[in-house]
Amino acid sequence: MWEAIAFYSLAIFLIYFAFKTITVPNPIHAALYLVLTMIGLGAAFFNLGAQFIAGVQMIVYAGAVMVLFVMVLMLFDLKAELRAFSRGLFSGGLKVMSAALLAGLAIGAANSSVAILENPDSAKPVADVTRQLGILLYTKYLYAFEALGILLLAVAVGVVAVSRIKGGTHAQH
Amino acid sequence: MNHALLILTLLIAPLLGFLFNGLRFRSPDGYVAGTVATLAAGISFLCSAVLVKDLAAMPVESRVIATHFFDWITVGNLHVPFGFVVDQISAIMILVITGVGSLIHLFSIGYMSHDERPAKYFAYLNLFLFNMLVLVLGDNLLITFVGWEGVGLCSYLLIGFWFTDAQKAAAGMKAFVTNRIGDAGFLIGVFMLFSAFGTLNYADLINVIPKSPEALWTGTLTVATLFLFLGATGKSAQIPLYVWLPDAMAGPTPVSALIHAATMVTAGVYLFVRMSPVLIMAPHTMEVIAWVGAITAFVAATIGLTQWDIKKILAYSTVSQLGYMFLAVGVGAFTAAEFHLMTHAFFKALMFLGSGSVIHAMHEEQDVRHMGGLRKYMPITHLTFVMGWLAIIGMPPFAGFFSKDEILWQAFSSPYGSKGLWAVGVVTAALTAFYMTRLMALTFWGKSRFGHDVHPHESPPTMLIPLIVLGILSVIGGWFGIPHLLGEYVHLPNLIEGWLEPVVAKLPEVQSEPVIEWSLMRFSVALAGLSAAFAYDSYILHPERTGKLVSALGVVYEAIFNKYYVDEIYQGWIINPLVEGSKALWLYIDVNFIDKATYFAGDLVSGMASFVKTVQNGKTQSYALYMALGVVVVMTIVLM
Amino acid sequence: MLSIETLLHVGLPHYIFLSGILFSFGMIAVLMRRNVIVMLMGVELMLNAVNLSFIAFSKESGNLNGHIMVFFVMTIAAAEAGVGLALAVAIYKKFHEVNIRFFEHLRG
Repeated sequence: MWEAIAFYSLAIFLIYFAFKTITVPNPIHAALYLVLTMIGLGAAFFNLGAQFIAGVQMIVYAGAVMVLFVMVLMLFDLKAELRAFSRGLFSGGLKVMSAALLAGLAIGAANSSVAILENPDSAKPVADVTRQLGILLYTKYLYAFEALGILLLAVAVGVVAVSRIKGGTHAQH
Repeated sequence: MNHALLILTLLIAPLLGFLFNGLRFRSPDGYVAGTVATLAAGISFLCSAVLVKDLAAMPVESRVIATHFFDWITVGNLHVPFGFVVDQISAIMILVITGVGSLIHLFSIGYMSHDERPAKYFAYLNLFLFNMLVLVLGDNLLITFVGWEGVGLCSYLLIGFWFTDAQKAAAGMKAFVTNRIGDAGFLIGVFMLFSAFGTLNYADLINVIPKSPEALWTGTLTVATLFLFLGATGKSAQIPLYVWLPDAMAGPTPVSALIHAATMVTAGVYLFVRMSPVLIMAPHTMEVIAWVGAITAFVAATIGLTQWDIKKILAYSTVSQLGYMFLAVGVGAFTAAEFHLMTHAFFKALMFLGSGSVIHAMHEEQDVRHMGGLRKYMPITHLTFVMGWLAIIGMPPFAGFFSKDEILWQAFSSPYGSKGLWAVGVVTAALTAFYMTRLMALTFWGKSRFGHDVHPHESPPTMLIPLIVLGILSVIGGWFGIPHLLGEYVHLPNLIEGWLEPVVAKLPEVQSEPVIEWSLMRFSVALAGLSAAFAYDSYILHPERTGKLVSALGVVYEAIFNKYYVDEIYQGWIINPLVEGSKALWLYIDVNFIDKATYFAGDLVSGMASFVKTVQNGKTQSYALYMALGVVVVMTIVLM
Repeated sequence: MLSIETLLHVGLPHYIFLSGILFSFGMIAVLMRRNVIVMLMGVELMLNAVNLSFIAFSKESGNLNGHIMVFFVMTIAAAEAGVGLALAVAIYKKFHEVNIRFFEHLRG
């Protein structure tokens, strides 16, 4: 019962914040709404028993990625744009419809495949998630973990290289 | 020596000569080119001689040398090997081709010494030799056809050798196109034979046909051989496709000697002699061949009476003599046809070369009205020409007598012959004697009719040696085929008949009195002699008589002089309608329908492309939308 | 099918549903917004929705593979956001615009 209430309130918040993210004209506002969405998602993760992931979500996403977004947005001195959304009613409708269709298909597929999951009735929460996660990460998925490190290195180098483009960032020149 | 190697050398030597001279075709050095070419021809002659010697040493039952180089075509039921066979018939042919060919190559060195592009000439000449050898040595109809086409090509190249003159180039085209029409007929004949009997190999055809039940049903075989005969009329200049040969005199004279006297034009005769066992199963075709040959002989002889160009006279003489060969084929006298082919090669090549010598000496003058009395200036040429003249009019013991007489006798007595054919042949023999004597009289005897600025001189040795050799052959060449009637007296057998007997078809023997043969022989010789004397009288002793005769004949003479207007009839009734029809097709159908269809196809593609091009509008979000839609479609398919 | 029973008893299908809605929101942002940065935010939203579904499935199946997956997705998403933003800055330096209606250079 309480579970249901928690879930539904969280869901309503999430949907509201996400909707606002994509519809407000001012990009800074959109970024702030996105931060709220991510915090909400962190709460959802916590609800689902993924405490470690919830923490990582807060730290990485809400704490680092979104700060980055906001920093970049502040670099451009943007006012609200005149035309925030792309033109055309027909193409707009088409895009919404296609997104809805895709999501609907995905949901339908996922729901119909629930029955084939391995332990459908074991709702027993996994104890000591972090520890278990750590063991898995360093034994079974070690290769991917190391590869990820190299990927991050490459990304860092790439970002530095890209940012050496000449030019100023003032809106008016 | 290894026979396959010999045959290969035989074929490759002229081909190598062609490549050597062909690659340096701009060279003006005639002596190097000519020497190489003549050497190539000489090598071929040596190989032929060795092969024939080996052939003669073999026992009669298995007298054949066959080689197989590789399988050329293997498609479905059609198996065509690239193989060559030397048997009695091709033995004679290769000796004639390479022997006379070598002499003509030698002659050409002197004749073409002042030409601009002698290397090109010798290259073509060698290529021709190669193709002719392929033609006669092939062991199936397709290889023969390859050579057939090749000699047609070389004939075109050589006739139109001086192509900067539009008329000469047109003569070359005429030869090629007329030959082509014949070739179409040849191919249809080949197709019919293949579809009826499943093989194109000569040996297999000969074995299959007399036994198969269809042989008695003359339908397929007759039509097939008639089509083959159409091809032969094209190549060997019979009615209706002979019109190219007189025009072909536009080429250099040695070319006329080689191609249009000794070798290419005899390809049709060779074909039928080789296929003789097949041919006798189609008696209707044989009748057609005999009559066409006889009529061609007669008509050509009448035209030859009126011509003033020395080469044209010889050209019509060639057509006429080829008619004799086909007459022989048509009445079943295959040995006689091959024999006449051989002797004709000797004396006609001799006369063409002799006329070349005369033309060379008279600085390219070809009209006999401007010649006369050349006997004093060119004694050796005159002497050899006399030998050729006596041979062609059929005077014993020269070569032409034996072969022509054999043909006339067979026309009279063979089961396929008739008195009518014999009569046409005898009249043509008389005409032949007349016009050849006329030629001699106007060219060599009597008073000189050329101006004082012309100084004819005897030709250089390279040109005289071939004349002498051919002259000797014109004398002794006939002694290979002495008929039994005369052979009893000189104790010489009929060598050629014995040689060819195993391979040509044998007709049922007709018993006849020797008296008839004797009297026919005497009659034809006497007639020829009288005709020659009449010609001598008309042109040397009483020249004014001819003028009166011509004006008395009036319109008839005009018709004959203009070659019976055959060329004009062809132009008006066949060529022009075809050309106009083609133009109509071009302007109405090609432009309106075919071109429009292709433009339409192009425009359609172009239109569709412009339409599809709008997809790529450069907007990232459109592309993202397409991707999303694509994923939706794929998911739908997968989940369904 | 849509009874109070299923509505109250919150389980996997609910989370899937939520994840799908969030995902479609993100996709709409990518397709319809003009600002490059907002489009990147839409991408982040999509990734987060997917993370939610991973965790939900992981809870349902009882093992931790979903968590591992989310771990990697998060890392890579962060890296990708960094690169994307660096590119956006570079574009702004060059063109002084981040509205994609000005970037139709690749039209055919």
